[in-house]
Formats: sequence, structure tokens, C-alpha cells
Amino acid sequence: MSVAATSEQGADYFACFGIDRRYAIDRDALERRYLELSRDAHPDRVAGGTTREMRLAVERSSQINVAYRTLRDPVKRAEYLVKLGGIDLDRTGGDGGAPDPGQAFLIEMVELRESLEEASSAGQAALDRLRAAIESRSEDCLDAGIDAIEDDDIRGAAMHLVIHRYLQRFLDEVDAEAGLDD
Amino acid sequence: MSNTNATLHDTGALFQIAEPEERAPSKRRPGFGIGIDLGTTHSLVALAPEGSAPRVLADAQDRPLLPSVVAYTGEEPVVGADAVAQQEEHPQAVISSVKRFMGRGLADIDFTHPYTLDVDEGAGVIRIEVDSAGVKRRLSPVEVSAEILRVLRDRASAELGEEIDGVVITVPAYFDDAQRQATRDAGRIAGLNVYRLLAEPTAAALAYGLDRGGQGLFAVYDLGGGTFDISILRLRDGVFQVLATGGDSALGGDDFDRVIAAHLLDEAGITEPTLHQRDAARIAARTAKEALSAVSSTTVSIAACGIGGVELRRETLESLLDPLIQRTIRACRRTLRDAGFRARELDGVVLVGGSTRVPRVRALVEETFGRPPLTDIDPDKVVAYGAAIQADILSGSAREGVTLLDVVPLSLGLETMGGIVEKIIPRNATIPISARQVFTNYSEQQTAMQIHVVQGERELASDCRSLARFELKGIPRLPPSMARVEVTFQLDADALLTVTARELMTGTKQSVEVKPTYGLSEEEVDKLVMESYDFASEDYSARSLAEARVELGRVALAVRIALEEVGHLKDIVTAEERAAIEAALADGDAIMARKDADGDAITAARKALEKLSEPFARRRMERALLAGMEGRSLFDIESALAAEEAELDERRGGHSAEIIED
Repeated sequence: MSVAATSEQGADYFACFGIDRRYAIDRDALERRYLELSRDAHPDRVAGGTTREMRLAVERSSQINVAYRTLRDPVKRAEYLVKLGGIDLDRTGGDGGAPDPGQAFLIEMVELRESLEEASSAGQAALDRLRAAIESRSEDCLDAGIDAIEDDDIRGAAMHLVIHRYLQRFLDEVDAEAGLDD
Repeated sequence: MSNTNATLHDTGALFQIAEPEERAPSKRRPGFGIGIDLGTTHSLVALAPEGSAPRVLADAQDRPLLPSVVAYTGEEPVVGADAVAQQEEHPQAVISSVKRFMGRGLADIDFTHPYTLDVDEGAGVIRIEVDSAGVKRRLSPVEVSAEILRVLRDRASAELGEEIDGVVITVPAYFDDAQRQATRDAGRIAGLNVYRLLAEPTAAALAYGLDRGGQGLFAVYDLGGGTFDISILRLRDGVFQVLATGGDSALGGDDFDRVIAAHLLDEAGITEPTLHQRDAARIAARTAKEALSAVSSTTVSIAACGIGGVELRRETLESLLDPLIQRTIRACRRTLRDAGFRARELDGVVLVGGSTRVPRVRALVEETFGRPPLTDIDPDKVVAYGAAIQADILSGSAREGVTLLDVVPLSLGLETMGGIVEKIIPRNATIPISARQVFTNYSEQQTAMQIHVVQGERELASDCRSLARFELKGIPRLPPSMARVEVTFQLDADALLTVTARELMTGTKQSVEVKPTYGLSEEEVDKLVMESYDFASEDYSARSLAEARVELGRVALAVRIALEEVGHLKDIVTAEERAAIEAALADGDAIMARKDADGDAITAARKALEKLSEPFARRRMERALLAGMEGRSLFDIESALAAEEAELDERRGGHSAEIIED
């Protein structure tokens, strides 16, 4: 058995919330809309109803919750816009999958891992410095991805976001090394 | 395609209706909903009919708290104070703190208890072996809890003068799926319509009327007899949302008592206490603990241990309890961080549970959150009050209510290659929520897949709680990675899991028989429900007759739908077969029409129909599967998959017969 992909439920999340399909979002308005939709859709609203009514309410609420999780999170929202543009970062290879970050970048990651080992033996201050440097690069990457989305350059955005994912994973490793993941 | 509710299940089986049996919309009776706090040490029932203030119902002796203790010493189980009175004499037949066994496996029971435990072969549910008056019984924790619920149910219906309509039962927010399922099953066995399981902290927040303030951010610190919960809740725009929850489902006041008892025994030089001595020490420990909430020093005497007039000071008590209390404080910090807020942003802190009466607990909570906690509602009753308020709303009363959005306390994951967990729903995700996952085959020979669902935060499946295992069967023989099965994991508003699966190639909906690792099987719950009705034999046969009719009706309908769809295809059903099946259908109709038909005759008619239609059913299924493969190039298959996935992106409404015609 192998896990091929996670498919998410629901139509376009932006449509679900009745907002424009773009990165910039009014988070407060999004939350209010979420609460409003949740109030109407919650299964408690149909308590005592038929099994079917109950199931539909559960499905509808699930859809709203999944959509909100995606839209309120800056990274998930960016990745979702790229997915709507035809590139699914959760899939590997092929035309609609995550782009290959390129040989040069992968070599750089290998070098980064080596510097993590060095920093790890050099102590906490060295780890902190490494973390700060990668963190800032990761943020830049996300910003570049968002800019590309706003310029309608989905391929470019996908590449930035893939690299962003690699860097985030690397940061998790740094945290694990520093014992911060408790 | 037919627009009925029928759909095909896996290849081996006969036709089945996939849709769970439709429940007629029950006519709710506003004001007849009750709230039950099913606690580790004691339980309560409360009412708040039609918008009134909640009140806890007491027994005939005016005692509101029902000790969660069940004695199996006579013919009928005895619950409450009368059971407690028998505890010393029959430590193994009087069951207390059964909540700690709910939904657990043998390996989870790492605390001391006087019972003989056992599990059924090949199953995970614990059985407590009880020798009651010479008769050996093997009880599941669910049955024991159901006894407690029954007493509270009767107390409420006596008060209302009528049967109750439904119940909200509270559970620790930190309860996992197995523990919640066990609680729901206990409700069903007690003959209750369980509207909803409500997290205890959420119930407490409702009781405090925090929902009336319009908006705010609150922490609920709940330290009961056996469990600890911390929840961060936010109110905004009529929605009370749990942002994060944390805790320890095996830490509570009982542990306080044990630590104190161990200290007392240690001081008395007793290194290997008898069961009796340990119990006596624990009871004395509890009394001392309660006394020290009000005074700074008390004396302890335990005859059974030869302890007489030993002084116990509050400082000693606090140094004993501190490690346990600190565990709760660490959980508070973690949960605040999960919620994304700082302690000083809170608008209020609520204390729940009898153990929050310990002054040291209050002091440390105040220190952690930087504000004195709210304590004006009796911490023993506050959860039951909240449950009663929500039950009143769900019974259909006009009471003004807020929408309660809860979270799943622990991540849900799947075991993948190498025993690694792949998380599909993260902890603290707002429920209801669902996740879908597509599985592929690794060889053409593979026609089934094993799926193991676990709950927990650890990397390895063996370190998480096993929730359920099931097998996806009837996967079409296709080249590696071409067969694709989409599995949907749905958590409902009670955080209970259901699983459905669908083969994307043929659109065949799979029946997923989930075998809960630590839960009772559906059949066993049904059996216990039946037993609980105490049917006179006449009623019982009426019931089995009704069931036989439903079964025959179900099979006949499915066969008719299938005939209508593919009955004209001679390679699926020959003329002779068709004639025989139609004759069997007519027999079935005739027997259903007779008022005096007995259950055995109806069942015989159903079996005859099943036997006759079985080869036809199998061929129809095979054809459906072949339709997914034959005469298609790889490209066709790929684009069919893409189209399928696009279609799946729309939420599926009613379940039509899901066969793709080619």
C-alpha cells in the first residue's frame, strides 16, 4: 500500500467564502465570514433531524473548516492558489506536480546540512545564527512566491514555494537539533 | 443509473444498501433534554428546561453527587453510595473509577486497581472479571458506565414525569476517539438518545455564561478525579470556539490521593501494604487532603495500618502534590502556545473539578495566568450545568444559544510503510472535519489493502493509539499505481470517526468495516441495547419479526434495482436465472403481504432470494470492475481519473448507484 496523495474536499475555497480569488485577504472579514458560515452549517442546527440531514451538515461544516484552515494560513493560501492555477505541490513530478528545484539548489541543501552538523557541534549560538539566516531566506522565498502569484506567474510561484518547503523542512531539522520541538 | 439509495459494496458480498438506515426525523420534545456529567469519581444529572436556570437533581436523600461506583454483589447491580458501602467487603466486585478503563486496552492500564482484567481473544476491549454471588461475569467498562447513566436517567425522568428526550454527556476534552465512542455506546446501552458529547471545559464555559459577554478569550482549567484538561476558548459573533485543548487523560485527584497514601504508608514503615491497607490509606489520604484545603494541619489515623494521630501539614501535602500540579501547569503553557495567545491576553480563567479546591492548585493557576480564577459556581456541578443548557437547546427549546465549535484533541494518522505515521488530521483542528487520501496498488496481484488508523502525536504507529484496522477489498487488477482507492475519514461534531472508501476506477463505493481496536463491536452494543430493554419474550419476537421484514425488504429492493439496470444483459443474467429470481421476489412479496407471517418464514424467503441472486450479483460486480479497465488505453484511464477527481471535488449529495457506464 502506498499513499498517493491527499485530496481535499470541496469546491474552490474562495468561492465557498464568497471572496475574490487572490492572495491579499482581509483576515478579520474572513474570520467573521467563517463564524457566520459555521453558525448556519453546524450539525447542532439539525439536532433531531434525519440521518441524511445530519450527514449533510457534518459534510458542509467539514468543508467550511477545511477551507478556513487553508485560507487563513499565509503559506497554505499561497500553495492553494498555485494549486488552483494547475500545479499541485503535494504531487511529485509530471506536468501538474511540484517542480524540480534544480540540481544547484539540491547541492546547496546538502551543503546546508553539513553546516547544520558543524553548527550543532559548535553550540547553541551557532545554531541560532544558522536558523536566523535560513528563516530570513525562507521568508524571502515566500514573499517572492506571493509576488509571482499576484503577477499571475504560477510556474514561478510554484518554484519559489517548493524551495520554501525545502527550507521549512530544514528549519524543522534545526529545531529538532536544538531540542526545541518539545 | 438509478436514483435510489442503493449502491454496490465489495465484490464478495451481496447487494447492500450503503446508506445507513434512514432515521425518521424524531419529533423533539423541548424541555426534555438532560445533561449528564459522567465523572471518574462521581456523576451528576442536571436540567435546564426551556430556558430556565440549570439545576442538579439530587436523590431521595438529597445527595446531588452520585458516586461513580457500581457493585456487582447481588443479582442486580447497585450504583452509588450503596455500592461504596460494599467496597471494603468486596473490593473486586465493586467497580469504581471505571472511566479510567473506558476505551482503553490492557497496555494502557498502568495504574493500580484491585480488579482482575482480561481481554477477549483477538479483541482489545478490557473485561473486568467479577465474581458476583458465585456467578462469574465479564463486564466491559461500557456496561458498567451504562449502569451509572441508567440511574441518572431514571432520576431525571422521575423529576420530569415523563421519558426524557435526549441527553448531552460530557467527556474530557482530551478523550480520544475510542474513549468517546465508549461513552456514546454506554449512553445507547442505557437506552438514551445521545444528542451530543460535549467537552467538559466547553460545558463549564457555558455554565459560567461566558457566552453572554459578547466576546472574549478564556481558559478552562479542569482537574477532576481522574483526568486533567486545559482548554482555550474564544467567543466571537455568537460562536464559542475551542482554539486549543491539552491535558492528561490519566491525571487527577485520585493520583493526589495515591501519592498522599503512599507517603502515609511509607511513614508508617509499611513497604508491602495489603489491598485492604492500601484502600484504607487512600480513603484517609482523601480525607486529609480535603481537610487541608481549609486548615493548615490535620491528624491522620488509619487503624488498618497501625497509624494513630500522625500529623500531616499543608506544606508536606503541597510538596507531595507539586510534581503532579506542575504537570498540569506545563500542559497549560503548551496549550496557550498551541492556541497562539499569551496568558495576559485572556479575559478569564475558569476552574472546574473537585480537585481545584486544593489551595495549591488555585495558587499555581493564578500565578500561571496572572489573574485570580473564577470559582463562584460549585466546581463539582459546573460541568453538569453546562451540559443541561446545551441539552435544552438541542431538545428544541427556544433558549438563546451559541454555536459550539470543538476541536479534535489528538492528531489522526495512518500507518504507512515501515510503521511511520502519516498525519491526515492535525490535533486542534476544528471539527467536524474530513480528510481524503488516495491509495494506490503496488502490484497487479494486489486486490486488497490493509489500513490502520491511529491517533496521537508520535512518529511511530506503535507509539500512538490504535483506533481501527480495516481492509479495502475488491480492488481491480491493474498495473502498479493504476488502481486508486480514495478513503474519506470523517470526524463528526463529537470527534467520532467514520470511514468510507471509493474505488476511483469504477466508482465503486466500498463498504468499510472498521474494527475498532478498543471498542465494542456494533453487534455487541446492539445486543446490550436489546438486553437493556428487558423485553418480555413477546416484545422480543415482535422485534425480531420487524427486523426480518426490514432485511427482506432491503434485499428485495437491491435485487430489483440491479435487475432494472442490467437485467437485459444476457451475459449477466440468463433468462432462467431471471425467471427464478423473479419468482423468489414474488414469494417475498407474498410473504410480506401476509399479516401473520412469522420471522423464520420471512428470513427463509430472504435467504432463498440471496442464494438465487448471488451469481448474478457477482457477475454484475465483475462487469462494473471490468468497465473500468477494458478497451481503454493508458491515456483514457488517466483522463478518466482526472475527470473523476474533478467530479469528486464537488461534494457528493445523495448516493446514486455508482457504476460508470462505458
